[in-house]
Amino acid sequence: MASPFSGVLQLTDLDDFIGPSQECIKPVKVEKNHPGKAAAKIRIEADGSYFQINQDGGAQKLEKAKITLNDCLACSGCITSAESVLITQQSHEELYKMLAFNKTAAPNEQKLVVVSVSPQSRASLAARCKMNVLETAKKLTTFLKSLGVHYVFDTTFSRNFSLLESQREFVKRFRKQSEDKKALPMLASACPGWICYAEKTHGSFIIPYISTAKSPQQVMGSLVKGHFAEQQHLTPDQIYHVTVMPCYDKKLEASRPDFFSQEYQTRDVDCVITTGEVLRLLEQEGISLSDVDPAPLDTMFSSITEEELTSHSGGGSGGYLEHIYKYAAKELFGIQVDTIQYKPLKNKDFQEVTLEKDGVVLLQFALAYGFRNIQNLVQKLKRGKSPYHYVEVMACPSVTAT
Amino acid sequence: MKEALSLLCRLPAHPDSRCWYLAWSPGGSLLASCGGDRVVRLWGREGPGWACRAVLGEGHQRTVRKVAWSPCGTYLASASFDATTCIWKKQPDGFECVTTLEGHENEVKSVAWAPSGNLLATCSRDKSVWVWEVDEEEEYECVSVLNSHTQDVKHVVWHPNQELLASASYDDTVKLYHEEEDDWVCCATLEGHESTVWSVAFDGSGERLASCSDDKTVRIWRRYKPGNEEGVACSGTDPTWKCVCNLSGFHTRTIYDVAWCHLTGALATACGDDAIRVFEESSPAAPQQPTFSLAAHVARAHSQDVNCVAWNPKEPGLLASCSDDGEIAFWKYQRPEVC
Repeated sequence: MASPFSGVLQLTDLDDFIGPSQECIKPVKVEKNHPGKAAAKIRIEADGSYFQINQDGGAQKLEKAKITLNDCLACSGCITSAESVLITQQSHEELYKMLAFNKTAAPNEQKLVVVSVSPQSRASLAARCKMNVLETAKKLTTFLKSLGVHYVFDTTFSRNFSLLESQREFVKRFRKQSEDKKALPMLASACPGWICYAEKTHGSFIIPYISTAKSPQQVMGSLVKGHFAEQQHLTPDQIYHVTVMPCYDKKLEASRPDFFSQEYQTRDVDCVITTGEVLRLLEQEGISLSDVDPAPLDTMFSSITEEELTSHSGGGSGGYLEHIYKYAAKELFGIQVDTIQYKPLKNKDFQEVTLEKDGVVLLQFALAYGFRNIQNLVQKLKRGKSPYHYVEVMACPSVTAT
Repeated sequence: MKEALSLLCRLPAHPDSRCWYLAWSPGGSLLASCGGDRVVRLWGREGPGWACRAVLGEGHQRTVRKVAWSPCGTYLASASFDATTCIWKKQPDGFECVTTLEGHENEVKSVAWAPSGNLLATCSRDKSVWVWEVDEEEEYECVSVLNSHTQDVKHVVWHPNQELLASASYDDTVKLYHEEEDDWVCCATLEGHESTVWSVAFDGSGERLASCSDDKTVRIWRRYKPGNEEGVACSGTDPTWKCVCNLSGFHTRTIYDVAWCHLTGALATACGDDAIRVFEESSPAAPQQPTFSLAAHVARAHSQDVNCVAWNPKEPGLLASCSDDGEIAFWKYQRPEVC
């Protein structure tokens, strides 16, 4: 009965049943072609289809009302239970279906299956299977390829992009804070649970503060369906891109219309599966990861070797605060920072970092994990009492963010 | 039996609307009422009757569902269907809204102050219970968001002298919460009711809890600490709560509120059959298996559902009630000889 989605997302009412006062905010378009005429009659056929009978007796077949998954995600209460729909549309079962489809499809219909694994998921698997991270990555590559996956990448690479972009964005915003009231504080955008909550509950007030950088998952999506597709002489819709992530909220992120290509009618990330689902895949195949032979790792760009799987300092969330802090200190004030001192506040999921020189506070950053801290942060912002320049916001308390 | 509870006076408190809840100030001299007309009214004694001393309007956009006084009597909190909770502060010339607590996704159903005065709890149809902390600068911060219930949470109430919180829900359970390390956790779930639990009330000692439900029963629960001599099993260091009495067959409709007088031990109920009932515990008290008997029953206490009953904290036997008919009624209760 317990939902696998983060507490923040659950409170965003994604899985709720329609109450008498709620309306679907994305009503299906009804073509009103004859305004002013008398109300039409509806006739239901034996097969369940609806026909509108016009005044002159002519019959018009009516379109079945369809609510798509994306409509669900935006709505606060609906006839369909959005969570279960989301989980069935994006799961390891879907991956199996795609791999099975590939086996029987004609060569020009087959899709190139690419899996991008997040470092957090890899670390979880490593801990679970009692191996080191590099070995896990290599064995996972073998396992996935044995199922029919063509390429296995690592999102550490795309995380670099996301961090670099965030750093640059912060410095730009810091420099123009006197002209733009909403430049600071800059709030992290990598956590979809937080974004969904922010959009739904606080909307236009909070959006300007949020960083415009894409999350590592979506940067990977752009890279795979853009650069990599070109390299392989394929169009984006000929690639089936799967990501392995530590949390369910990432499934939501991948389904956002912002990350859907109208031109090719394909998503940047087609399917998100969680670390837990990878374990289920292993179970279903009856394989223990430690028994698998290691395979060389795939690299997206031949000039970079991923043998050493570059890792990042900082929290399990990607180290945004640490990277931006160090970069900003250097770029804005010429100060080299090697170690960062965290000061815990109200609780362990709310911590502060301050850069001081000669008694003057130059930079003040914070980590805010978990719903209660997000709440307090937003309320302070609304009252104009937030002293921070940057806040790394994550929906999950640090205990669960591996 | 009728004479045990006699009517003192009636007030059309929230005309053309429902009166949802009542709260006596800690000193017992003021009664706060709230209703569907979106305002809070304060009533004080005037001669033999009661008069409206203040109207707290412009705080909410929708029905005000519950009101609660802070232990010091300086602040009043009002919980509303508009998803906010207003904090009103007593000033020389009346009450002023000093803060609005936001965050719940939809209708806030209840609000309660902890005995220390530093903590506040709210609950909502969004199934969550929130704990707030107030500091010396009157700044409120969310300390915890508890998602233990699986349905609409109807009521929250604090233990009379400990930082223990109880909540009642549409999911048929009562849950208890306390602080552990730096967060709040659900430490007990009381199951037994067969339908929505509308309200809960602790007795004066805090060792017992009464819950009332849509299943037309009132249940009494007793706390058993680990190592108790009755041999009731506990898990770890948390006490267990066991149902020791089930008052069924007395009410003909949903019971919306229960109030346990901390001065006399009398238990009053507000029912959807328009009646008010008062129960007394039979003496000598048998703690493990208490028996309660019906001491008073006013069948047509109001012309519609009775939503709330509240015992005055200083004057024994003074009971206030309110109803969907928009009225407040004041009653004098005297424990009958034979009970």
